[in-house]
Amino acid sequence: MASSQKPDQEIAAEFTSYYLQRATTEFAEDLDKVRAADDFKNDALQMLVSALQQGTALFSPEEQRRIVTDAARPESKP
Amino acid sequence: MGKRFSRGPDGAAASRKRQKVVHEAPTSEEIHASRQLQQLLSFSQDPVRARHGLQSFKLFLDDLLNPDSDHGDRPRILRDYLQSARPAGDDDENAKRQQELVARNLSADKGKAFIISPTLRMLKEAVSFDGGAIARPLFRARASMLKSLARNMGIVHIGDEAEDTKRPSARTNAILFFLSALKFLHPEAKKELLSQRDIVSALTRDVKQDPPYLVRELLEGLRSHVLLDGKLPREAKAGLLNTSTLTRVSALYQYRLDATAAEGPSIADSAHEFLLTACTNPTCGVLRQDSGFYPREIDPNAAIPAAELDDLGLEAIVWMNKFKTEVPVRNYTLSNFLPNLRPWSSVKQSELITSIFKVAPELVASYFLTNKSFTFEPKLSATWIGYAAFLFNTVTLPIPDYFCRATAFPELPPPTSIVIDNILPLPLNQKALSRSLANKSNMISFFATRILVVAIGKLDTAIKMHQDSSHSNKSAWAEAARRLADEFCQRSPGIKEMINSYRSIPEGDLLHREAASRLLRLCYEVLPQVALMAKFDVSPFLETALSRLSKQELDDPKDFALSLKELENLLAIAGYSPGMRWFAASEALSLSPFTLLLKVCVDAPHGVALEAIRRVLNFVAVEQQLVPADDKHPGLLALLEALQSLRQSSPDSVTPLWPFLDNCLTRCANAPVKYVEKMQEVIQEATGTAGQDLEGAVASPVAMAILEQLPFVAAKEEGQATLKALGRFLPNFLGLSATAGESRPLLSLIFSKMVPHLADSKGKLAKAGVPQGLEFELNPRPHTTETKPKKPNATTAGQEEAKSEPAMDAETLENTLHMPDGLEADNSALVKWATKTVDELVDEGYLTSLIALLVSEHASIRKEALVNILKTAAKIKQSEYEEKEQVWLLLSELAETARDNIHDGPLPSPIASFACHALNVLRDPLSSLYAKVNTFLTRGPVWTLDRLPLVDEVLSEEGPPVVAGGGADAAHYTQISWLLGYLLDGLRTPCDLELFHKKRARGPVLERVLALAANPYMRLPLRTQVLRLLYRATCVEGGSTTLTTRFGIVNWLDARQAGCCTDGGDGAGEAAVLGGLRRRVWETCDQERVRVWSKGALGEGVSSV
Repeated sequence: MASSQKPDQEIAAEFTSYYLQRATTEFAEDLDKVRAADDFKNDALQMLVSALQQGTALFSPEEQRRIVTDAARPESKP
Repeated sequence: MGKRFSRGPDGAAASRKRQKVVHEAPTSEEIHASRQLQQLLSFSQDPVRARHGLQSFKLFLDDLLNPDSDHGDRPRILRDYLQSARPAGDDDENAKRQQELVARNLSADKGKAFIISPTLRMLKEAVSFDGGAIARPLFRARASMLKSLARNMGIVHIGDEAEDTKRPSARTNAILFFLSALKFLHPEAKKELLSQRDIVSALTRDVKQDPPYLVRELLEGLRSHVLLDGKLPREAKAGLLNTSTLTRVSALYQYRLDATAAEGPSIADSAHEFLLTACTNPTCGVLRQDSGFYPREIDPNAAIPAAELDDLGLEAIVWMNKFKTEVPVRNYTLSNFLPNLRPWSSVKQSELITSIFKVAPELVASYFLTNKSFTFEPKLSATWIGYAAFLFNTVTLPIPDYFCRATAFPELPPPTSIVIDNILPLPLNQKALSRSLANKSNMISFFATRILVVAIGKLDTAIKMHQDSSHSNKSAWAEAARRLADEFCQRSPGIKEMINSYRSIPEGDLLHREAASRLLRLCYEVLPQVALMAKFDVSPFLETALSRLSKQELDDPKDFALSLKELENLLAIAGYSPGMRWFAASEALSLSPFTLLLKVCVDAPHGVALEAIRRVLNFVAVEQQLVPADDKHPGLLALLEALQSLRQSSPDSVTPLWPFLDNCLTRCANAPVKYVEKMQEVIQEATGTAGQDLEGAVASPVAMAILEQLPFVAAKEEGQATLKALGRFLPNFLGLSATAGESRPLLSLIFSKMVPHLADSKGKLAKAGVPQGLEFELNPRPHTTETKPKKPNATTAGQEEAKSEPAMDAETLENTLHMPDGLEADNSALVKWATKTVDELVDEGYLTSLIALLVSEHASIRKEALVNILKTAAKIKQSEYEEKEQVWLLLSELAETARDNIHDGPLPSPIASFACHALNVLRDPLSSLYAKVNTFLTRGPVWTLDRLPLVDEVLSEEGPPVVAGGGADAAHYTQISWLLGYLLDGLRTPCDLELFHKKRARGPVLERVLALAANPYMRLPLRTQVLRLLYRATCVEGGSTTLTTRFGIVNWLDARQAGCCTDGGDGAGEAAVLGGLRRRVWETCDQERVRVWSKGALGEGVSSV
């Protein structure tokens, strides 16, 4: 199993992309409202993306790995 | 005023326009002698002649530089010329004259940039000539060389269009000269250069308007030749990097002249890198070493007499409450610089501040104290989100090592206000957070939830650091930890608000639901007292999550895995809250939560990690006796494996099984003993009729329940489908059970009784029997071989095994089980109450502190307390307080009881403790104890001193019906929890202990409490509470001896330890606690007496643990 493990960085990137995709789906309506707000300019988009994805810090590397890879990996046999 | 006359028809236009200079290509001549060269280069007023000379010299030099041409006499001609042009005799006079010339040029009129700029360029070339060979003598002449440098740095390019790189302004030239000087001067000279305030100030004053290439050179030059120059002393760097320089560089975050297509990092990025290095690298001269959460000026190791600390607690530390409005810091430059940044509008500025916070933790509290203008009031805007992100990053910052970036904890704890300001910075107050949680925008509540999740995790770390075993002033640190938790609760929204927020999240918002459930779980883990008070019923949430997962509406396996995280959080909460109803199907659900959980496991997409859920299933199965409570038995695994393999081979067969299995599991859980007895009947029948010896054979009670229910299947709707499915499932299940270690003969016997009810017209099933050699293919299984029937002498072996188990060391045991004295004397309570309102008296503990003084060692204090209690009773009676009658009655009865009994000694602690805890019940009419306490109070005006009030009433109440219905069971466990809390506070002295073991109609109180812990439905928090009570008893003089000789505590602990299921993490942990407690009992008892009492049986065995 160890040989097929992806490196942590790859897992983190995959998880971040999943997290962002989920967040943008869940808060689509609110995000539209923010984009229409008066103060949405310059770096605001970058800020918004960074704000959304900082939530990945709530998930430990093991939790991230579980969510990203377990679903795609056939379970090992004893 | 008259009009000005124009000088001619086109005079105006002509006067404004600069006269055009037409440059014609200069002429030249070939040079053959040094004399000729000298003539050509001699000064001439005639520009044509001057240019002719220069052009000739240029061509001469070009040829010299061309490696392919034959130079002939040229080198000699040049050498001769230079010889002749050399100033005569290097005399000082000459040098001085030249310096004066340079100085005059440099300080020429501001408008004469055409003189200033070339001079600066020449100086730049001179200082960098030959790798800085003459930089040193040049610097000696600094009075001339640096003349008007600051002023010249201010002569900027004027005009709408950008500065032309070919015609740099005087400022540009001045900066480039300055940077070259920095590059080639020696450290001492640089130090002096940087100490020139006017120059340093002029250097960055206009940086925002400088052309991009200059800004880059400036930042790069300062970075390599100042910031990172190891030979330059810190003070010199600090001279440059003052608050205004930092602020001006930070203005480059908004730099507007950047070419869009430019390669490499933008100016904003370069400025960011520069500031990051300048502010976070301690060698750059800005950052100073601070002492973390301890502000400047205080001594965290100040010696405070122990007596003073004992008496006054944290109040003995003069600076403890001093920093609520202002925090003195060492990093004043940074502290002044930070407010100029706008973390809410730029990711980089936010990152800069948090990076600074990380290296200078003292700044966090002070930053938010001095920047109060910005609030966290929720608003769906980019600014709010930016601010929330900044605060999130701040909360995520780690706590400095030992709170002070040292190698060990100081003597005294850090000021609580500073610790809490780092966990929930000031803008994150209760009001703003509550409003964010309740905001109709889901995203806002999501952001608030996430901040709270990291904050409560940080609180946990901080509390654990306060509880570290290495502290010398343990009580002060413990008090600080309690204060910290209190402060947190005051800033954080209440758990009810968190629950409401969770409730309002739409079903499909998995990320949000996961975060909200994680927050609740953390509350239970970190602040259990607060969380349990909310009486949160997790069942409906659990059911929703289970039904969502079991409906399999989530196509993406990642979504499923995320949903499982939420489920895990809820399961953890269910584990903490007393009275989770695992086997009661609500109206909305067709199956019980337990069966649903099993179904989720079976239906989970292939490969999803289910370890945590399997653990919960097993834990509940063992606790409810669905499976034998044996360490080696793999619990529910056989059932799970059989269901999973059935689902793989024939997916349709599983569906009709669920209602049947649910029925069997629920029955078995509700009456496990019945099925154990039925199994015994089968065993005896086999012994009687077939002569088989099956004594001690093991099988799961759930198999017996299935056998019992089989005859009723056929009559039900879809009965045939169910029977057909069972025909596939049962042989597999029983076969796997045998593989897992249950008795094969017994299982075969059970199967033979099942077969007649299954659809087995051709007799195939009967013939095949229970299949052999089935393997667990889908679940990892602890290695077990089929066991032979055990002989009953296994118990002694079990005991030996238990004794060799690891036990918790004394320190960890103390951390786990030691509880602070709830009746600790605080003499100041006698005066404090007088100024408080009745609400404060009752709700904020002033009254309980007063009551606690009735157990004081000093008669005068006790009497004083009694008088004050009577006074408070009168005050309450006259007030508008809602429960005033009952509170008055309680106090009056307490006073009546105490009046004649406190002259010779303290009031028994359980009585005082009861009064305190009863007071808390009276505050809350919804409490399930409200009626009991009131009945007790109306029974009579004086309490019997040698009886523990309400113990009988609570303990004798029938336990909850096993078929859980409504909140009856939850209420029962709440009452037990209350009782244990009051008993724990009431056990302090040997006299108190006597009350606990005094003979009574239903047995001594302690004995009944011990029996309580054997209740298999009681959860870990309550079991731990019992152990805390025992631990407290061991702290009382003679307590351990009494426990051993009167209550056989060693055997009790052994039995409890053997009963701990060790498959999950919790069981092993509890076993270690029990082991540690056994050792403590032995170490603190009168060992000689116990040896004699036990006739030597206790001693070696216990002490060897």
